[in-house]
Amino acid sequence: MDVLIVEDARDQRKLLSAVIRRLGHTVHQAEDGVEALAVLTERSEISIVISDWMMPNMDGISLCEAIRDGRFQRYIYFILLTGKTDRDATVKGLSVGADDFLRKPVDYQELEARLKSGARVISLEQSLELKNEQLAKTLTSVESDLESAAKTQESLLAPPAVIQGVGFDWHFQPSQILGGDMFGYHALDDEHVMFYQLDVAGHGIPSALFSFTLNNLLMDMDAHTTMLREQISNPPYYKVRPSEDVVASLNQRFQTTAETMLYFTMIYGVIHTPTGKVRMTHAGHPETLWLRPADGELHPIKDTGLPVGMMPGMSWSFSELTLKKGDRLFMYSDGITECENPTGEQYGDQRLRDALYGGRQMPMKEMIDKVWSELSDWRDCNTFDDDVTYLVLEYQGG
Amino acid sequence: MGFSNRQEADKTVVEVDESRLDASLATPFRDYIFDLIGQGQKDLIVDLSKVDFMDSSGLGAIVAALKQVGGDGAIQLAGPQKSVHDLFDLTCMDKIFKIHGSVDDALSDSSKH
Repeated sequence: MDVLIVEDARDQRKLLSAVIRRLGHTVHQAEDGVEALAVLTERSEISIVISDWMMPNMDGISLCEAIRDGRFQRYIYFILLTGKTDRDATVKGLSVGADDFLRKPVDYQELEARLKSGARVISLEQSLELKNEQLAKTLTSVESDLESAAKTQESLLAPPAVIQGVGFDWHFQPSQILGGDMFGYHALDDEHVMFYQLDVAGHGIPSALFSFTLNNLLMDMDAHTTMLREQISNPPYYKVRPSEDVVASLNQRFQTTAETMLYFTMIYGVIHTPTGKVRMTHAGHPETLWLRPADGELHPIKDTGLPVGMMPGMSWSFSELTLKKGDRLFMYSDGITECENPTGEQYGDQRLRDALYGGRQMPMKEMIDKVWSELSDWRDCNTFDDDVTYLVLEYQGG
Repeated sequence: MGFSNRQEADKTVVEVDESRLDASLATPFRDYIFDLIGQGQKDLIVDLSKVDFMDSSGLGAIVAALKQVGGDGAIQLAGPQKSVHDLFDLTCMDKIFKIHGSVDDALSDSSKH
């Protein structure tokens, strides 16, 4: 180890140096605190200081304080030389951060023992520092992985669109720790458009990956027969599958295990575009809000069912409704209603309904922005604990 | 804070002494129940009366417990507060769990059968 001896009495300093050198250490010397700080700055290999108390310019206590004020990147083990069995000196030394004490006149066996214990602490400090560095590196790489996963999640989302006279637009705010929200919509044929929204339980990579898988399956538009259309023997040789059957099929295919605890809530619906007829199924997902400009009301659509993946062999019900021109369906994940303000209060159903009601006459995009601005005001913070997603469908008359 | 259990008649009552059963507690809670099941305690009543918020992860842990006991056991839920009850309604938990107003209700209900 490299040891710095700080002592104004030249004889004492020489003597201590000789002894410590004999113990196999490299010795550096300083006459007072000021010189000691200069040496410590220049020589980063020094990790142990043995300092006298009373010295001109800067005494041992002030030197110890200076070392502990954070100017050095490394940990420096500080041994204070005290005159007698002076209780006050010990208390004062400890209070400024001295690690150990050595009484004068110095007992050389005791000195050896104290240096050994200092070396032990230093090596612990160094290995801790190394681990911290590794942890920091790992954390950075995990964070960048999470960030790129969040980008993937966003890139999978369908852009706003008008399909067969049905407008779709949305807002998506990913949570800080990657959530499992996903949604999409596409034409099943010339007069049917499907739409879905889902929320995988939990957070992080497992939930996000699962939502990617589900999205790939539901958005596969090229396959002739998929989970969404079944083959029949007469023209046109397929039939659009009812929403409750699609949900039941997903349930058969994706059963959670006791280990993963992964399941999801979802809305799946199909709109018959010439007539505005919608058939939709809610699987443990928050209700859809149906906005009707004709009577200016909000109608919740309730056909609650189990989330998907909890229990095999379950069945689901469905809601049927006929949209008129200008009607909208507002679908959302619980990230909105469970969004907490700084005092921990949840946003809740009623505030959401009020915000929507206030925006019911606005064009779709403005209404979406209004809901978002009210929710952000409520949150009053840039990060969200859960994904916040809402999807709006507007029937523009087929 | 935490979880505890006691025997009542032939059942194990698991008390959740936490105000939030969410993502941070889902795994410890699941492990706690799995330990009980591993020790052969397969007839459980989960007392939720102290929980005022449960999220999808908490719900996942309870369902995981149900899967773990399998066909030769039972898990019943007792004493959900309003917000937890609303979550159970939304997700139709009554289709896969017996839900009681309180632990006493659960015990007296089962002694009738």
